[in-house]
Amino acid sequence: MSSREEVGGSMEPSRDLIGLSSEPLSIERVYSSAVSPSCGAVALFIGTTREHFEGRRVIRLEYEAYEPMVKSELSAVCRDIRSRWPMVKHICIQHRLGLVPVAEASVAIAISSPHRCEAQEAVGYCINALKASAPIWKKVIKSVCVWCVWCGVVCGVWRHSRIAFE
Amino acid sequence: MVMVTVLYFAKSAELTGHRSEVVPLPAATSSCQLWALLLELHPSLAALQDQVVLAVRQQYVALGDQALLLADGDEVAVVPPLSGG
Repeated sequence: MSSREEVGGSMEPSRDLIGLSSEPLSIERVYSSAVSPSCGAVALFIGTTREHFEGRRVIRLEYEAYEPMVKSELSAVCRDIRSRWPMVKHICIQHRLGLVPVAEASVAIAISSPHRCEAQEAVGYCINALKASAPIWKKVIKSVCVWCVWCGVVCGVWRHSRIAFE
Repeated sequence: MVMVTVLYFAKSAELTGHRSEVVPLPAATSSCQLWALLLELHPSLAALQDQVVLAVRQQYVALGDQALLLADGDEVAVVPPLSGG
């Protein structure tokens, strides 16, 4: 048995897995990307399409993204996370693009750490940072006539320029 | 003047009817001058006046006096309020 096998998962390099896909998200795959023998916790966040928006029934959401910049922004978020929680092992962030029907997942984040505190805190930070800085937009397709609206909610400050939108 | 690819997303794509276009722009400019030039091209973008930022070479830039240097082949994106996640 090699020394690498004896030491086990602690030898594996930490990884950041960031992906965009038009296919339905696999929560199992997101979890598997983060789990590690050196960690006792994987914290998960899954964002799903809600059936109501501003008092109207939602049929689905449509997402689009400035894809290369999503990758660079989320890589920066991962660096932030590792700076704040050095014990974090793996980070997996997957966002769906295109049509996302009600009750399906639009975003899944899995983060592992030796103990649960870091993973749980990092996941909460991660989704907030994604919403504040990743160039992704959702369009709400509602029932009743053809009124569709781009969701114009900005939930926080621009990470780089520190300008707040109300 | 340099040839820059301007990308439009979400509401800005609906307002302009474009996803992308190549536009001649001054090499030395500012973000608010850049925005003013885009408004001349597409007056309908005025609907986003108080909500938009730009992304120049994939870096966010607020509308203001910040000096910008552009080169041939650069990408500038019009970024309406984010709504990912």
